[in-house]
Amino acid sequence: MSEQNYILELKDVVKTFGGVTALNGVSFQLKKGEIHALMGENGAGKSTFIKVITGVHQPDSGIMLLEGERIAPKSTIDSAKMGIAAIYQHVTAFPDLSVTENIFMGQEIKNKLGMYDWRQMHKRAKELIEPLSKEIDVTKPMGSLSVAAQQLVEIAKALSRDARILIMDEPTASLSTNECEELYAIAERLRNEGVSIILISHRFEDMYRLATRVTVFRDAQYIGCWDVDKISNQKLIGAMVGRELDQMYPEKTAKIGETVLKVEHISKEGYFKDISLEVKRGEILALTGLVGAGRTEVCQTIFGIMNPDSGTISLEGKQIQVKSPVEAFRHGIGLLPENRQTQGLVNELPIYQNVSSADMNHFAKAHMIDEKAEIQNAIDLCQRISLKAKDISAPPSSLSGGNQQKVVFAKLLSMPLKVLILDEPTKGIDVGAKYSIYEIMNELASNGYAIIMVSSEMPEVLGMADRIVVMKSGHVSGEFNNGEVSQEMLMAASLGEHRKEGSA
Amino acid sequence: MAGENKGTVRDLTVKDSFQLSKFLVKWEMMLVYILILINVILAVARPGLYFNIATIQSIIQSGLDLSPMVMGMVFILLLGDIDVSIASEMVLSGMVTGILCDKGMPVIVAVLAGILTGAVCGAFNGVLVGYVKMPAVIVTISTSMLFRGIVEIVLDVNSLKNFPAFYNAIGWKNIGILPICLILYAVITVIFYFILHRSTFGRQLYIVGNNPTTATYSGIRVERLKLIVFIIMGVMAGIGSIFFVGRMGGGLSSSMGTGYEMDVIAICVLGGVSTNGGKGKVYGPFIATFIMAFLLYTLGLVGVDANTRKIVTGIVLLIAVLIPNLNKQFLADIRGKFASK
Amino acid sequence: MKKIMGYRNIGLVFGLIGLMVLAAIITPSLFSFAALVSMLRNNAVYVFLAIGMMIVLVTGGIDLSVGSTLALSGVVCTSLMSTHMDVPAIVWVLLSLVIGIICGAFNGFVVGYLKVVPMIATLGTMYIYRGFAFLLSGGQWWFPHQISQPYQDWAAKSIVSVPAILWIAAIVFIAAAWFMGYRTSGRRIYAIGTNVESAQVAGIKEARVRFLAFVICGALAGLSGMLYTANYALCTYSIGDGYELQAIAICILGGVSITGGRGTVDGVLIGWLMMSFITQFISLLPGLSVWQHALQGVIIIVAVFINIAMTRSSEKRFLKERGALL
Repeated sequence: MSEQNYILELKDVVKTFGGVTALNGVSFQLKKGEIHALMGENGAGKSTFIKVITGVHQPDSGIMLLEGERIAPKSTIDSAKMGIAAIYQHVTAFPDLSVTENIFMGQEIKNKLGMYDWRQMHKRAKELIEPLSKEIDVTKPMGSLSVAAQQLVEIAKALSRDARILIMDEPTASLSTNECEELYAIAERLRNEGVSIILISHRFEDMYRLATRVTVFRDAQYIGCWDVDKISNQKLIGAMVGRELDQMYPEKTAKIGETVLKVEHISKEGYFKDISLEVKRGEILALTGLVGAGRTEVCQTIFGIMNPDSGTISLEGKQIQVKSPVEAFRHGIGLLPENRQTQGLVNELPIYQNVSSADMNHFAKAHMIDEKAEIQNAIDLCQRISLKAKDISAPPSSLSGGNQQKVVFAKLLSMPLKVLILDEPTKGIDVGAKYSIYEIMNELASNGYAIIMVSSEMPEVLGMADRIVVMKSGHVSGEFNNGEVSQEMLMAASLGEHRKEGSA
Repeated sequence: MAGENKGTVRDLTVKDSFQLSKFLVKWEMMLVYILILINVILAVARPGLYFNIATIQSIIQSGLDLSPMVMGMVFILLLGDIDVSIASEMVLSGMVTGILCDKGMPVIVAVLAGILTGAVCGAFNGVLVGYVKMPAVIVTISTSMLFRGIVEIVLDVNSLKNFPAFYNAIGWKNIGILPICLILYAVITVIFYFILHRSTFGRQLYIVGNNPTTATYSGIRVERLKLIVFIIMGVMAGIGSIFFVGRMGGGLSSSMGTGYEMDVIAICVLGGVSTNGGKGKVYGPFIATFIMAFLLYTLGLVGVDANTRKIVTGIVLLIAVLIPNLNKQFLADIRGKFASK
Repeated sequence: MKKIMGYRNIGLVFGLIGLMVLAAIITPSLFSFAALVSMLRNNAVYVFLAIGMMIVLVTGGIDLSVGSTLALSGVVCTSLMSTHMDVPAIVWVLLSLVIGIICGAFNGFVVGYLKVVPMIATLGTMYIYRGFAFLLSGGQWWFPHQISQPYQDWAAKSIVSVPAILWIAAIVFIAAAWFMGYRTSGRRIYAIGTNVESAQVAGIKEARVRFLAFVICGALAGLSGMLYTANYALCTYSIGDGYELQAIAICILGGVSITGGRGTVDGVLIGWLMMSFITQFISLLPGLSVWQHALQGVIIIVAVFINIAMTRSSEKRFLKERGALL
């Protein structure tokens, strides 16, 4: 096929952040007037890829061709001028401004006096929106619309700028079935009008309905490109998860005991519905699924950050109410939050004070802190998790990611806990340091902690967990014992292939 | 040489935090230098006055009438909040004491009732800011109108004259060579020092001020903490009314003390307390209180009147907030240059 | 009808009508044309301050120095006028604008370019401008006989039985509505306030917009200084003390969001009317005039409380919508 048929072509694009390679020699071809699906696990490099195309990031090497000509967009304004537009799942527009103004931001229609011609703009906005949806009032503020409607506005905005290439990032993730159908119709119409669409989606349904070709990324690399009607589900999942279990996992020695925490039928409007799970002494339960499936919210509910609308939580057979983290700690439930920078650490305070921030009663008498005892307490805890730090009176920001995470671990270990919930414990940590986090987890399990680990990484889940619960869009979509499940099966459950208890 | 290994095993250490070179350029030390500088200028410009102990006593007395509220404000600012209702709280507390004294209540009851009034006002702010989660600026702007409004309703154009005798002593008398208000301020500062730098409560304050999300995840009740801090602020405004009324010669009317909230905030900012929360020590504002007192008095001596001194207060405030900002930018620029090489 | 009900400030209008009905029942004397005009004239200075304040609030900032700017401009204009009686009065109007613009530009520079928190920056300049006002006045008072008639006319002269200051207020109101609604720079102010990051992505220069907002706010505060002295034929350095809080209060009543992004000129107008009615109505009730500040404080707290409750309920509705998808 000659290059002229491609509207957009990327060759050997490399992008690194610090030491982390986000795109490793990725290539991609988009034909004129096609809908091209892009698939891959969380962290496969899809979002970096979009950001390179839209000019948010500049690639370290590699070339981009737009209709055969080399381009290097420096910003989203640049790429918009070239006719490239992206529509994100979470729209980040101007919520207080009207739909019209959001559409025309930066290219307003003005009259001879340099005044905004609102009448004209509303009219144009209506013309742009009407084919997409009859229900959107263009004079309403953007923030008052549903997510689906906001996406349509973004599409209208892209069209008003004569976008030739439209990137849709998880467009159907928060849409109802009806809204999806409407979106499909719109996408097809745009394609027929000659717009080329890159569709990023975890839903097979989206891909089958719309795309003619599909490209798969895995671990920052290009895996392959297939015609949609010539590839099977199994083969596609294989391509996405075919990651080798190259990471070593420590041998698990903990003995599994009786059930400690039992969560039954908890629901929270807008986040998850009817979730039940249990975890035993010495057991590591993995909670997996795609980002946004409601895993973090379930953990936060058990920990008391959010309160469930219904359902019960019991600890060692006794039903408990957890209304706040304070109560969670009192019951013996601890949470290692997903984002250690914004939720786990105080970077302005020294490491030892971070370690002691959750429970100061160890070394405080009548609410006065005995600093010597505090430091000793912190040193003991840090040694337990073999923290590598030169000076524990330095701030945590002086440490590597893995050691920062250990500081948060040490904080949790300062209290007598029974259940530890670890939300993405190895996120953003380099490979070597991951191993020591796994060691800590195993040791804690051996010491009788019941552990719930949230993780998006299939190999990690399979390498560490005793049992695995998979969530999809707020529901449990599969529950497996480790050893009788494969990466492919987990991926299938995450994508919604399994509705009920999956048996191997 | 800097490392003193308090740990027993491996590589965990706590470095002795004292380093002379670092200590000398600390913000609080800068304040000390400024204070010394002002005194030197004063000594040179008006030697006759300066070596008179009575002058120094009166400088201190004139500048300390708002001092209790400075300490309360340190806590508020550490949370990243602000309280502009304190002058109104102070006047309201003073009014309650004054009325009870008029009614012939025992002094101790009247004084405690005044302080309690401050605490109630603080609690009102604290509930709205902590639990209802309204912005502190708005809440305290409204309550400053409300509290002063209550004073206006009750007092109208009248003034209260009947205050306990020790009020005057606090404003004007000395014990030995030390002004009473200085001794009391020192005691208050020591108490606040222990609360902020030695107690679990103070530690929680720093955690909440720097990162409220982490604080929640660490099991700190952020809402309750805010409520307590606003109550403490109210209590300090109540105590402040004693200092203030004493300094005013034992009289109180509804329009007194306007603008004190701004003076207090200015002293805190000058003392190195960041309005973004989480940064600041007790002794910075302590020193800054005296800087303001000496600065304003010095200006007064050289013939600058009270209102023009406001310009100096304003400029001092602006410079105090600008220095860390500029410093950061300056350092970043230098780093940028090295990196490009 | 639907269009009227869809008007975004409909709640405020109802609030205002409720207030007026209450006032009409309790103090019917308020509702003569002359009484209304005099009420509005007494509160006219706040319009300028409140509109300027709103523009700064929309960016997410705050300007505590407007009361001092008013005093500085009032003192400069009055003192110069009293010694140069023959200069046409329009010169003083222009001068007051220039003084205001300089004050506002300094605020804008410190906030926009030096990145100091608006609250603290303007707290500092509040002192500085007030101090300069004193310095330039020398503590002096100016009384009606020292203020020339043409100067006073700018506020007091009756045109179609409405005093000039209200006509100027109307012009400023229309100009502000036009600027905030129809000019690119005005719309940029909203864009910065509603989402700074998106605004930057869209190529809007944040510092410049903030600077502009403070300049406009300063200019209006400067103008209000000249008009204040003309309106009351009185001037000293302490005029306008605490007016910044009044201006903020009016904005909050008028539905301006303190966190930025939301606020309209017509909302501020309604807020101003409400505040004027409250003040006037209280002053007409015997023995109630001392209640003014306390009531205003309570009203603002209640207004913000309602505002927050409404935001929370719309968040809940949003979650429900999402829940339906699960």
